[in-house]
Amino acid sequence: MKADQRDVLTGVYYIDGDVASGYGALAAGCKFIAGYPITPSTEAAEAFARIAPKGGAMFIQMEDELASISAIVGAAWAGAKTMTITSGPGYSLMMETIGYGAMLETPFVLLNIQRGGPSTGVPTKTGQADMMQARWGSHGDYELIAIAPDSPQELFDHTIKAFNLAEKYRCPVMIMADECVGHMTEKVVIPRAEEIELEPRRWYTGPPDEYIPFKPDEDLVPKMVKAGSGHKLFISGRLHDERGYPVDNEHFELKYVRRLIDKIMCNKDKIIELKEEQLDDADVVVVSYGISSRVAVRGIEMAREKGIKVGNLRLITVWPFPDERITELAKKVKAFVVPEINYGQVVFDVARCCHGNANVVLVPHGGAGVHMPDDICDAILLGAKEERKIEKVIEFKTQLEKLVFKGGSKLKE
Amino acid sequence: MAEVRFAGYGGQGIIRSGIIAGKAAAIYDNKYATMSQSFGPEARGGACSSQLVVSESKVLYPYVTDVDVLFAMSQEGYDKFEPGLSENGILLVDEDMVKHKSPRGNIKVYSIPATRFAEELGRKIVANVIMLGFFTAITEIVTYEGMKKALPGSVPEKALELNMTAFDRGFEYGKELLKKKNG
Amino acid sequence: MITTFAKGLEKAGVKPNQVCVPSDILFEPAIVKHFGFDYFHTTRGRAIAFGTGLKLANPALKVVPFTGDLMTVGGNHFVHGSRRNMELTVICINNFVYRKIAGKAVSIETPKFSPYSTFEEPFNIPHLGNSCGAIYTARWTALHTEELADSIAEALNKKGLSIIEILAPGPDYYTSISNVNADLVRFYYDNSEIRNDEDPRNVGITPENKIIVGKFTSKERSTFIDSYNAQLGNVLGEKFTPYGIESGKKGAGGKNG
Repeated sequence: MKADQRDVLTGVYYIDGDVASGYGALAAGCKFIAGYPITPSTEAAEAFARIAPKGGAMFIQMEDELASISAIVGAAWAGAKTMTITSGPGYSLMMETIGYGAMLETPFVLLNIQRGGPSTGVPTKTGQADMMQARWGSHGDYELIAIAPDSPQELFDHTIKAFNLAEKYRCPVMIMADECVGHMTEKVVIPRAEEIELEPRRWYTGPPDEYIPFKPDEDLVPKMVKAGSGHKLFISGRLHDERGYPVDNEHFELKYVRRLIDKIMCNKDKIIELKEEQLDDADVVVVSYGISSRVAVRGIEMAREKGIKVGNLRLITVWPFPDERITELAKKVKAFVVPEINYGQVVFDVARCCHGNANVVLVPHGGAGVHMPDDICDAILLGAKEERKIEKVIEFKTQLEKLVFKGGSKLKE
Repeated sequence: MAEVRFAGYGGQGIIRSGIIAGKAAAIYDNKYATMSQSFGPEARGGACSSQLVVSESKVLYPYVTDVDVLFAMSQEGYDKFEPGLSENGILLVDEDMVKHKSPRGNIKVYSIPATRFAEELGRKIVANVIMLGFFTAITEIVTYEGMKKALPGSVPEKALELNMTAFDRGFEYGKELLKKKNG
Repeated sequence: MITTFAKGLEKAGVKPNQVCVPSDILFEPAIVKHFGFDYFHTTRGRAIAFGTGLKLANPALKVVPFTGDLMTVGGNHFVHGSRRNMELTVICINNFVYRKIAGKAVSIETPKFSPYSTFEEPFNIPHLGNSCGAIYTARWTALHTEELADSIAEALNKKGLSIIEILAPGPDYYTSISNVNADLVRFYYDNSEIRNDEDPRNVGITPENKIIVGKFTSKERSTFIDSYNAQLGNVLGEKFTPYGIESGKKGAGGKNG
């Protein structure tokens, strides 16, 4: 299915990432966004709100984030492509309903422009410390998809990608951008509508009386209908059988919740997008995502100038995690270097997948800023130099840390 | 690669200046240009700034580290960001707004009475565009043609002609100044 | 109570398949199948927020949030839904005691009906709704079946947010009527007094006085979608596509079915 040309603002723009994401949502056919303003994601909602009414779409400012995400789950069931936009504390408030959306197999997109945390933190500066919250934030077992753009152009492209994934796998999709990318202004090319491929909703078209809401297709994803079209829907966040009726025994728990996980995990190969560069002869591999992956490329260039064989593995999709690829690489390389704007989140998944076959170096960075490429370069040198197998994640000390702690945090010594 | 810091106070169009220069570089000069602005407490009231990195290849590190050009339209902006200017950098000041110290290292200083020129044109608000013309002439980070194409759509349509005139005023003043310095 | 609801739909001339019921109360599947509306068991207290999404994505739907946690978890959604005049027929089951966690106080509980008594003042729901902008307010006990069905029918045909408070003992009343429940609902009924058109300020529930029931207010006010279309039409003129016109064919969810 191609995008509707009325929704696509074809042209070349010089805009920030937030605005690009708003335009991306429109191009993806999103007709309903409910949100509550919060820095640094507000501009995305503003961009959508400005343009949406001209194309029959709506933005509504709800009373809070709980209402916003509840409204988009409702709107999705009424047939709309929907998104909500938030940051920091707003993201925390949405957690319960993310799990609800996953349980109901509702397609929707959540744009999180990450800011420095915890709590109110640093609203106007960047962070990547919500990555594990994206993965585990709501209670119970479920799987979802999270992607991490590194430029305004990608915020446009990946917003469309997120909608496509949400429709295909009927699950919440998180766009885990960050303030740096969201507030960065760059050239963004919006192609013509016929160049934008959209995933249609998996509509059920059979007789209404025979519709079974949670009966999966072969790829484990069930079909959907619109509310109010005579299907006598019984849709509940309670554990349910294929009809949607409440059940509470362990067989159903196994069958249903297991499928929520499997429909993502068994389709991992189709979902995961990685960008790999110079991995063939690499001794060290930098694993990164979002703005960190962009800064990392500079660090990699610097290390290569020093003769280090270093490759680049960029996680465009962070969740589900590319376990197999990391495990495979771990057998061949000496070390992974993982820069992230937090004190260690995704790095532990890299370590988990290494099975002790390679060293793992974390390059931490507190919120409010991005890594200096020199630090990433030095961490790569450290990874290349270390011949022993170190059992735990090695924490690289950045120049900033040395400056602030005069040689390292006391806790860590 | 060139790193530019635009500094002034809220209402002078400092962020807008960064966007116009970035747009000229990225869209009309076919370079890569990444613009970031300061938000939050530091952006309120006094100092307001934006930063622009222009490069022949993709900008990897999005912020300025060793500023090549400081575009200063307020005393506070100058005071705050002067220390970040490279020893070989260029300092552009609106001489009606900024009293600068004698420059460090090899820093070259170029002054323009931008606010006075803007008042002569009848609109004080275009001082930043006069500065942009001056910036274009002196630094050549963006082209004259690129900037003239970037202005439409970036300033209110009704005021486009005025802005074009303002830009030229700054540009010509810059060219004259260079001639004088070099000749 | 669901039977009364079905009767209300019939009186209003609304087909069950146009009706969506977002609810934080778990219904019996058999009941939903029998009456034929679409039911969404939401997260606690979010029935109005969820219903707002349903309504805005397809304005042709009749959305009837059935809520138990209306004034506690969902209090803010009720206040803002009323203010916006979102087209929702809100049915609040005021059970006084949340039976599944016996004795736990919820904010609409009144002292007399709590096993250990509580000292907190309850909300006067019709008054709150009315002051926030709801266009229709009524209260009945579950045994006022005729009056309740009439109110539901009337509310369904009103344009805006209606609030109907139903005094009923416990969310599972309609599935398993125990003697206690039957006694309690009879108690509510016997202690009620019908005062239609009473000023909602005077209908707070207190242990000392009779429970005032009735249809209290009914007024007209521009709905959220009407106001939205008027305002954006004014500002954007020709560029604006009115939202949800022609039986909702232009809602975000696209055409029905």
